[in-house]
Amino acid sequence: MAANYWESSQRKFWTFSKRDLTDLRRAQEVENSQLYSQYPLPDRRLTNIYFQMQLTKLAKRMSTRQQAVATAQVYIRRFYTRREIRTTNPYLVLSTAFYLACKMEECPQHIRIVVGEARQFWPDAVSSEVSKLGECEFHLISEMNSQLIIHHPYRTLTELQTLFSLTSEEISLAWSIINDHYLTDLPLLYPPHIIAITAVFLAVVLKPTTQTTKAQSHNLQAALQVAINTPSGTSGGALTGQNKVQKLLNWIAEGSVAIEALVDCTQELISLYEVWESYNEKVCKEQVMRFVKGRGLDK
Amino acid sequence: MSSLTSGSSRKRIYGCYTVIGFISSGTYGRVYKAQGKNGQVGQFAIKKFKPDKEGEIGYTGISQSAIREMALCTELTHPNVVHTVEIILEDKCIYIVFEYAEHDLLQIVHHHTQSNRHAIPARTIKSIMYQLLQGLLYLHRNWVMHRDLKPANIMVTSNGEVKIGDLGLARLFSKPLNTLFTGDKVVVTIWYRAPELLLGSRHYTPAVDLWAVGCIFAELLSLRPIFKGEEAKMDNKKSVPFQRNQMQKIVEIIGLPQKENWPLLTSMPEYSQLSSLSSGIHRVSTPQGLEKWYWQTLQQFKYPSSPPSMTPGSDGLSLLRGLLDYDPTKRLTAEQALKHQYFLSDGEKPAEDCFEGSGMEYPLRRVSQEDNDIRSSSLPGTKRSGLPDDSFGRPAKRLKEG
Repeated sequence: MAANYWESSQRKFWTFSKRDLTDLRRAQEVENSQLYSQYPLPDRRLTNIYFQMQLTKLAKRMSTRQQAVATAQVYIRRFYTRREIRTTNPYLVLSTAFYLACKMEECPQHIRIVVGEARQFWPDAVSSEVSKLGECEFHLISEMNSQLIIHHPYRTLTELQTLFSLTSEEISLAWSIINDHYLTDLPLLYPPHIIAITAVFLAVVLKPTTQTTKAQSHNLQAALQVAINTPSGTSGGALTGQNKVQKLLNWIAEGSVAIEALVDCTQELISLYEVWESYNEKVCKEQVMRFVKGRGLDK
Repeated sequence: MSSLTSGSSRKRIYGCYTVIGFISSGTYGRVYKAQGKNGQVGQFAIKKFKPDKEGEIGYTGISQSAIREMALCTELTHPNVVHTVEIILEDKCIYIVFEYAEHDLLQIVHHHTQSNRHAIPARTIKSIMYQLLQGLLYLHRNWVMHRDLKPANIMVTSNGEVKIGDLGLARLFSKPLNTLFTGDKVVVTIWYRAPELLLGSRHYTPAVDLWAVGCIFAELLSLRPIFKGEEAKMDNKKSVPFQRNQMQKIVEIIGLPQKENWPLLTSMPEYSQLSSLSSGIHRVSTPQGLEKWYWQTLQQFKYPSSPPSMTPGSDGLSLLRGLLDYDPTKRLTAEQALKHQYFLSDGEKPAEDCFEGSGMEYPLRRVSQEDNDIRSSSLPGTKRSGLPDDSFGRPAKRLKEG
């Protein structure tokens, strides 16, 4: 439930192992092999970046809170574990996910407004008929088994802020790392508090050395290595002088948080930032539009 | 998105359920009684949401309250909250399938008023209250406010299990992006509405549910609503009117709220209205007092003076006082109420089956045959015409969401 992630549908039904997720996707690919060869798509994270940017445009126009955007992203991620993206109109799906997420996060938008705004951005892809979005909402909810309550890492972040007296810079960096994690599979793989801890850890470690991503990733892995090798209580010698990092590492080492999970999340994020460098909006748009137009999914 | 319409593999409502009859309707839609089939065993209550606009052909988007209810229903599991079996979206309609409950508190109270105004046995009341509070504690621990607790929404199964139903107005209070006041302006059937809501509070809390529980407790004892006010209707300006008559009913029994006992009273938006209440009305200036009301009620219904298994006694009064505290911050929480002496004085835990040892037989829920076609798109009005509820003279008080 809202307060209780452990009893939530998110934990019970929508947190996958990497293996499960791989199997699900392989099955999708096998089932739609012809579509896959006919309509190749960039790396999933790149299309996610593209859709996230579209979603953000929509949200900005309607000055919607980040929380609703995050919920919409999770809806999209869930939906596409059940439906092959090449059989859908992603512009309609993302507009619908946004419309639904706004209602769920208590900042509702009228369906006509959402359709109107979506038409402004993607006139070729979104029909002016409100009923299309309404119908898509049924599919979205059905595929998610009406399990619409999403637990986000933002709340844990607020708790950690107090615990570690994080500065506003650290918080805002952690916040944007959390925003970025929705571009990966992490929301389908790990509980929100793990994501929050990872984000705080990255923010605290990264901040003093705002160098290139690669250099940072070395720092992170080294720091985490220390955490893994250091039993509770004792301190990681490599990081003396950085009290906060120290405290955080001790806390992680003492706690019940699986270090492996933190390492994995960190790696996923670092790898996201590496892939990001090859992002090309034009290519993404063209490849998505190819199957939308080619298969008449905009109708 | 025609290629998305491959919903044929999904469950169909007629594939799993046979509708037996119609139970009730409200602003949300209609509720049917159904029998499971094809592997689905037992009886069910199916709530069908009506489309937002009557006679609308296409999809128009699902109302926010339906979305809330669906999301909460799939998430909540507790023995004292009505269990949601599944939700089916089919042919532009939404069906929530619930476990079936044979009775509800409104029907039980009604049965007692009909049979010579015989009291509900003290043990039954204690068990009902205990189960109700446990369900509410679960909701509140999960950051869910019910906001519409009333006897008609408290289900009782034939095994005497009490289950909170109708989460149609329930909301999460963990992280409201907008204040909870915006969106739907009027919440909670007026007779069970907490004083802070009547006085225009915008930042209300789970305490509103505990006030309603207090009113329900009083109603189980006296077989009539304790504060039976007349609702002031919304005027054309769409502003929420002050519910003068309802506030007056409360004051007539428990007296005017005092700022000594409720420090934030003077900052309530409608605070100034209170002074006009007291002018000239005798019962307002000299309230009966909850204590007097309580003992008179116990006397009227011939509860003996002891033992605790036969009468709610002075512990019952103390619990009622705690639930009907004006100050929402001092009002008992569900957790505190469950630890109240009232539930302990018997020496044993309240019965898990509220009917245990009561010797009462309650009539079965009435099911009408007039409309068995759950899939028909025409929804003839929303009145509970010809149904038992009407005979109580208690139409659905819930206003449409603003």
